[in-house]
Amino acid sequence: MSNLLSQLVSSSSTLDAYGRVLDTTQNNVANASTPGYAKQTMTLEALPFDPNSGATGGVRAGVLMSSRDQYAEQGVRQQNLSLGAQQQLVTSLTELQSEFDISGNRGIPKALNDLFQTFSAWAASPTNQATRQTVLDKATALAQTFQQAYAGIANQEQTAAEQVSQTVDQVNQMVGQLQKFNQIVMNGNHNDAGLDAQVNATLENMSQLIDFTATKQVDGTVTIMLNGTQLLLASDKQYKLTSSLSLPSSPPPTYPNAPANVQVLASDGTDVTSKITNGQLGALLNLRNQILPSYIGDAYQAGDLNTMAKQFADRVNSLLTAGNTSDGQSGNPLFTYDTSNDARVAQTISVDSSLTPDQLAAIDPGPPYVSNGVPLSLAQLASPTDIADMINGVSYSQYYGQLAGRVGGQLSDATNQVQVQQSLVSQAQTLRQQISGVSLDEEAATLIEFQRAYQATSKFITILDQLTETTINLIT
Amino acid sequence: MAAPEVHERIRAVRLSVDRTIDLLLSPSPAALDRCSEILETAGRQLAEFQPLLEQSRGTAAAFEKASRLEEARKLRWSVVRANRLLDGAAKFHDGWCRLRDSLTAGYTDRGAPAPTPARRRILVHG
Repeated sequence: MSNLLSQLVSSSSTLDAYGRVLDTTQNNVANASTPGYAKQTMTLEALPFDPNSGATGGVRAGVLMSSRDQYAEQGVRQQNLSLGAQQQLVTSLTELQSEFDISGNRGIPKALNDLFQTFSAWAASPTNQATRQTVLDKATALAQTFQQAYAGIANQEQTAAEQVSQTVDQVNQMVGQLQKFNQIVMNGNHNDAGLDAQVNATLENMSQLIDFTATKQVDGTVTIMLNGTQLLLASDKQYKLTSSLSLPSSPPPTYPNAPANVQVLASDGTDVTSKITNGQLGALLNLRNQILPSYIGDAYQAGDLNTMAKQFADRVNSLLTAGNTSDGQSGNPLFTYDTSNDARVAQTISVDSSLTPDQLAAIDPGPPYVSNGVPLSLAQLASPTDIADMINGVSYSQYYGQLAGRVGGQLSDATNQVQVQQSLVSQAQTLRQQISGVSLDEEAATLIEFQRAYQATSKFITILDQLTETTINLIT
Repeated sequence: MAAPEVHERIRAVRLSVDRTIDLLLSPSPAALDRCSEILETAGRQLAEFQPLLEQSRGTAAAFEKASRLEEARKLRWSVVRANRLLDGAAKFHDGWCRLRDSLTAGYTDRGAPAPTPARRRILVHG
């Protein structure tokens, strides 16, 4: 009787095991197109067979094994991270590029060109009141375009700061979701394929935003760390990030009134900004704290737009004040700006509204005395030969062209990098798919073949790269 | 050398490199072997017409310089892309190898994954 009972128990156990295998298969089929889902395999364990002791053999269901390979997942996330950064850079730099016109039809290049032409006209008719008034008008127009360019970039700084804050919120929200998933696991739900899929889909989405490492713990929960050092999630405890504006204090700022930088803080108040270098958040921080300040300044740099505005204003003013008016008075400066802060020159530059056309000095007292000496010198600024009329060894128009070209170059690079990264994400996804479900034996052999093939292909790419460079050099 | 010919030759090389990019998106030993063949041919084509390009150097009016340069820059990005894809796949498999080694043979006394003793084997498929 006991034997019969044993047989029945064994059969029941076997049926149960096969039933669970069938469930797993059905689960795989049902979730085939679920984002983040990985095929699962039910292992079967042999039961002892010993008729003397009543052990009837058979099988029972073992542990449910996920074929998902964390290594392959991390590979996809890593490529997603760089894609997120490059895509964000393209979006932001496209907006920044719109502030820099190089067609010469608007903005600073047009205003600069108009002013140079007016200087030439003034040199041709040094006593003409209408021409002098035009000089004042065109100088005012140039000052306004500097202000507009500054305002446009400052506005982008504000937008970037808001985007940093929104992205930090997004990260917190996603970590919050993962915290809830951890709670479900901690409540005993260890092998839910749907939950596993949700966890991985969330991690994959988050990987576009920020660099993190995700580790699956023995209890099935996921631990998230920022750049491998700062905890964001452990078990059911979330550590939230925050963002804020901060003016650095050490070393002491050169320009204390400059716009503050954006920083990201860990839950314990530690500044983790420097640890976020990749992903959408890394790109936004780079844009907000590095790229945009290189134009309009921060605590430690005046910014190239301010430098240009200051040097131009100073040079024009020095030429005018060295001259004399027709009634023998010394010349007056044309431009004014906030002299207390070099990081705000483009924002504050203007033409003295009390200045009248009569007060513009045209006479170079010499010797030799030249009645139109000052406007002639001013007109020289368009195509300078004297180093004093240049900025960084080039004309003001060329300098502005370099600023615009820098944005254009960065945008072009980022656009190409997006294409490269999209390919790399696609490749990582394929490799993830390939690695799942492949037997280790098969792979051991394939990996050796891979190694050989990589070396050969790499050699040809290096040669082609050199040939391409030579070709470009031959053309340029 | 006429401008359209230069342009077309560079374009042909670029299209070859783009073919390798497609192959590298789903890398397998066979795909990599095919890449090597294509890249070798592309390199030979590029090397062959460089002397002809050298002869036309400096005669900007003889051909549309900008157009050729644009095509050459596209080619450079294609090569960069192919290189990055090859690196990506190589790093992936190298990392996977190291992971397998550490799982199979543990770590060396310097903390690196210990190489698996017998990595070469013959597989017989039934």
